[in-house]
Order: sequence, then C-alpha cells, then structure tokens
Amino acid sequence: MNLSVRKIVISGILGAIAILLGVTRLGFIPVPTPAGHATIMHIPVILGGVLEGPVVGLITGAIFGLFSFLQPGAPFFADPLVSIFPRLFIGVVSYLVYFLSKKAITLASRPAAEPNLEAGGSAPPPGGLQSKTVQILPYLLAGAFGSATNTVLVMSMATWRGYLPAEVSISIGVLHGVPELIVAAILTVILVQGIQRIRPSEK
Amino acid sequence: MELTKNITLGVYLPGRSFIHNLDPRTKILAAAGIIVLLLFTRSYSAFALSAIFIGALVSLSGIPTGYALRGLKPMLPVLAIMWVFQLFLFKTPDATVYFHWWIFEATDAGLHMGNLIILRVLFLFTVTTFLTLTTSVVSLTDGLESLLKPLRMIGLPSQELVMTLVIALRFVLILAEELEKIIKAQMARGVAFDRGNFIQKTRKIFPVFLPLFIGAFKRAEELIVAMDARSYTGGKGRTKMKTLHMGRADFMAALILLAYGGLLIFIIISTKPMI
Repeated sequence: MNLSVRKIVISGILGAIAILLGVTRLGFIPVPTPAGHATIMHIPVILGGVLEGPVVGLITGAIFGLFSFLQPGAPFFADPLVSIFPRLFIGVVSYLVYFLSKKAITLASRPAAEPNLEAGGSAPPPGGLQSKTVQILPYLLAGAFGSATNTVLVMSMATWRGYLPAEVSISIGVLHGVPELIVAAILTVILVQGIQRIRPSEK
Repeated sequence: MELTKNITLGVYLPGRSFIHNLDPRTKILAAAGIIVLLLFTRSYSAFALSAIFIGALVSLSGIPTGYALRGLKPMLPVLAIMWVFQLFLFKTPDATVYFHWWIFEATDAGLHMGNLIILRVLFLFTVTTFLTLTTSVVSLTDGLESLLKPLRMIGLPSQELVMTLVIALRFVLILAEELEKIIKAQMARGVAFDRGNFIQKTRKIFPVFLPLFIGAFKRAEELIVAMDARSYTGGKGRTKMKTLHMGRADFMAALILLAYGGLLIFIIISTKPMI
C-alpha cells in the first residue's frame, strides 16, 4: 500500500481539526440530557471519507480515536475498545454510503437525461433527478450514516464491555445520536460544497 | 475567548527519573501490555496487585500522585452515575437482592459489576495519563514510528502514518489560532455564542465551521505543494538525526514487567472473578 502526499496531508489536517474540536470543546453540542453533551467531533472523519476515500477516512478516524483514548471525555473512553476501535469505521462507512448512493443516482438519472439531449440541449427540467436536492443527497446520507456508525458502534461496545446497561445505552444513543445525526448530515453537505469550491479540479 | 492558551496536548511533566529516561519504545510497549492485561482483569486480588505495581511506578517517576490523578476530577460524577446504573440495572438470575424499591433492585451482582467497571476505568485512565506525563509527544511519535517499522514488510506505510500524526499535532495549534480569529470576527459581527437554547447555539457553529474547514483545506493544498516540491517520498531511505537506543535500564524494565505480567496472569487464571 502506498500513501500519496495528498492523503498524508489531508488525513493529518482533518485529524488536527478533530483534536481541536475536542480540546476547545467546540465539538460538543450542549444537548439538555443528564449525560451532558452530544458530539460533532467525528465530522472531520466523515469529510475525510467522502472527499478523499476510505483510506483517509480510516486514518482520520484512528487519529480521532487515539486522541479520545489519551484524553478521554467520558470515563468509558479510557478503554481502547470503546474509544479507538469504533472510530475506524466512521470514515469507511461514510465513503461507502457516498459512493453507492452517488452511483445509484447516476444510474437512475441516465434515461431521464437522454431525451434532453435529443431536444437540442434544452435546459434540464426543474425538479427530477437533476435537481440540486438530489445532487446533495449522497453527502446528506454519508453524513447521517457516518454519524450513526459512531453512535451505534460506541454504544454497543460500551454495553458489550459492561460499562453501561443496554437500556441506558439505547436511551443515550437515541437522545444524543439523533441530534448528532441531523447536525452531521447538514454540516457534511455545507462543508463539502464549500471545500470543493477551493480544491483543485478533481480527476 | 483565548483558545490557544488553554490547549494542552499531552501533559508531559519533564523529569530525570528512571521512568522518564526509559526508551519511549519500552514505555509504549509496557503501557500497551499493562492495558491489555487490565482489559482481562476481573478479580479484586488482580486489581490489588495492579494497584501496588502502578502505584510503585508513579512514585518511582517522582510525579505527585495528586497531579497524576488531577484529570480524573471532571469524570467523577459520570463514574458515580455509571456505578449506580450498574448497581440497579445489572442482574443475574441467582443474585442476592440487597434493596428493593419500585422496579429497581440493588443486587450483589450489580455491586460487583459496578465495582469492576469503575476499577477498570480508573486503572486504564491512570496508565494512559502516566504514559503521557512521563513521555513527551515528540518521543512518543518517534517511538511509535520505530515500533511500526517492521510492519513495512507486510506493506503498511508506517513512516507515512506517523507523518499524518505529526502533521495533526503540529496543525492543532495553527488551526486553533485561526479558529480564535474566526470566532472573534463573528463576535464582532454580533454573534452571541453563549446565548440561546441548544438549537440556536448549534446553529451558531455553522458560520464558524465553514471558514475553519476552508482555511484548513487551503493550508493543506499549500502543504501538499510544498512537500511535493521538496520531493517527499515517505519512509524510503530516510535517516534520523537522533536515533533511539535501548540501554540496561530498558532491559531491567522489561524483566520487571515480565515478572509482573506473569504474576498477574497467574492471579487472573487462579482466582474467582468478581462477576
């Protein structure tokens, strides 16, 4: 396996943002539940997966996991099986969801695009599969699934390792996971569109 | 908002003790070994042995015990809640009931389960904190790089992986300064970050995140060009100015650790687990 300079640098900088969100506590949303804060520290990992592929997603996830293991925000993150292991999957799942949903949309929109070309290059019809809403759908789904991966895997590991009873894990998972999922999905769409504007043209 | 002043990455406390002077590779491997053993520790006597051993390590390093455990303070309320959850919600069919109220039952199984997770978290936390207290971030990454080197043979780009970690650590402070500027700029435009309910507060992070990420990606593109221009080719043929050396102290530390590990494994196997 070879890592290009691009992959090394982007993983490193996204990892830096994940650490920064942790140390400044900017990555915590003050959700009013007894357990305290929901987190959006995993957004850089989702972005790594979506923008640069599964390898960058995996490495960024590992840096995020390592940091939350060395400076744990909640007691059970002192266990590497809860803090590091689940984080390796966030970026990979985000990439897969992004890749598959983008492919599905391309396949589904192909027949609809043909009659347009015959009509002499007229503007695509409003709505339908060419609309902006559909174009951002892969990012929205990648953000949502990446966030859900974090919630589900961390809470399952915490339960399996015996730190929390299943009932408590499920209620924390729902109370924190849902706002995290919504914020992650929206932020992924906004950030990807913003970042793609300044990046050199993609291959 | 003084973000850059409050950032502590690793809480290295310089010193000249036996532990401080050990090779970082010895310390990383030892910490990893102790952590793995702790994940399998399920009896009070094994925890007692770990307490003696880790206590001896802390006193040998000359780090004040209070300082080593300072990071635990904010976690204590959550730990207490976790203990109560286990006490009332963990059940086994044959458990003795101590106390019964409405749908809650405090059983001996719950008590032991609560104790087990609290002890495990406390010990894991102490070991990782102790590693970062006695080893600087630079020697940690150096040690990690050297330890991962053999994995190059199975195709793992160890040097490049450590490079990502180094870039991440370097950029935390640079990005923190940028973040501070962004937050101040938004405050100057009238954004009150500390007001509103949680939905309003969450919406206020959007105009901070976008410039932060765009700024970070601009820096990333510049760094990519800079590294390419200097022909960075990863780990191949790379040499170091300061090389790591294992000495007699590391050999002694390895022997002590092996003795401790052997004794602990014997106790884990021969004693009855608490749950």
